[in-house]
Amino acid sequence: MNMCETIESADTNRLESLTVQNENIIHLPLGLLGFEHIKHYALLQNPNESPFCWLQVLNRPNLAFLVLPALEVFPDYEPDVPAEDVKFLGLNGPDDALVFNIITLSAKGSATANLKGPIVVNRFTLKGKQVVLANAARYSIQHPLPLSR
Amino acid sequence: MLILSRKINESIVIDGRITVKIVRVEGDVVKLGVEAPADVPVHRQEVYEEIQRNNREALTQGRPALPQLPATKSKKNLKGQPVAGTPA
Repeated sequence: MNMCETIESADTNRLESLTVQNENIIHLPLGLLGFEHIKHYALLQNPNESPFCWLQVLNRPNLAFLVLPALEVFPDYEPDVPAEDVKFLGLNGPDDALVFNIITLSAKGSATANLKGPIVVNRFTLKGKQVVLANAARYSIQHPLPLSR
Repeated sequence: MLILSRKINESIVIDGRITVKIVRVEGDVVKLGVEAPADVPVHRQEVYEEIQRNNREALTQGRPALPQLPATKSKKNLKGQPVAGTPA
């Protein structure tokens, strides 16, 4: 299942228009850690880049974070979102959440995913937050991605 | 740095809206209870700094070439349809 394509499940009217733009504005009221002042990102999805997506700083096309839903690559990933964050995001259940993990590309061509502090987004409101998982101790902030070459 | 002495179950109040309470002391571990508004993020410092550092390293300028993942999934957009303007 591709998280990037599962925003579709409800609220179809709104998604029709979002799909036309192929771009969704994600609102992070608290920003990302270290980037607290940047609160709006465009989620860009290029089919050729799936399952990767871009969280591009709104109106700054050259600044972006590469993300992917780690569940795509690591089926055993079990992000446990703390209760306060569930409340903050207005999530009524796990299915309301999109979980994106920030990817770091190294100059040597390797890539790692932050499994410890994912960006959790309410798929209906598109409000999100970078959360520190309740089970963060289980996960690495630089978990190597399996690459084929 | 302001240093205050507190006993178990005593608190300090920051800015009239954040309360930090000493919940328990076990050896060299102090358990704190923090009550803060939802828009005030609270983190363990070392975790905060680790994620902050990782975020800074991850920020990209331009569009670098992406790595290839082993199992390529079907290429779909939000609705599972080809994106307008791109070849199907």
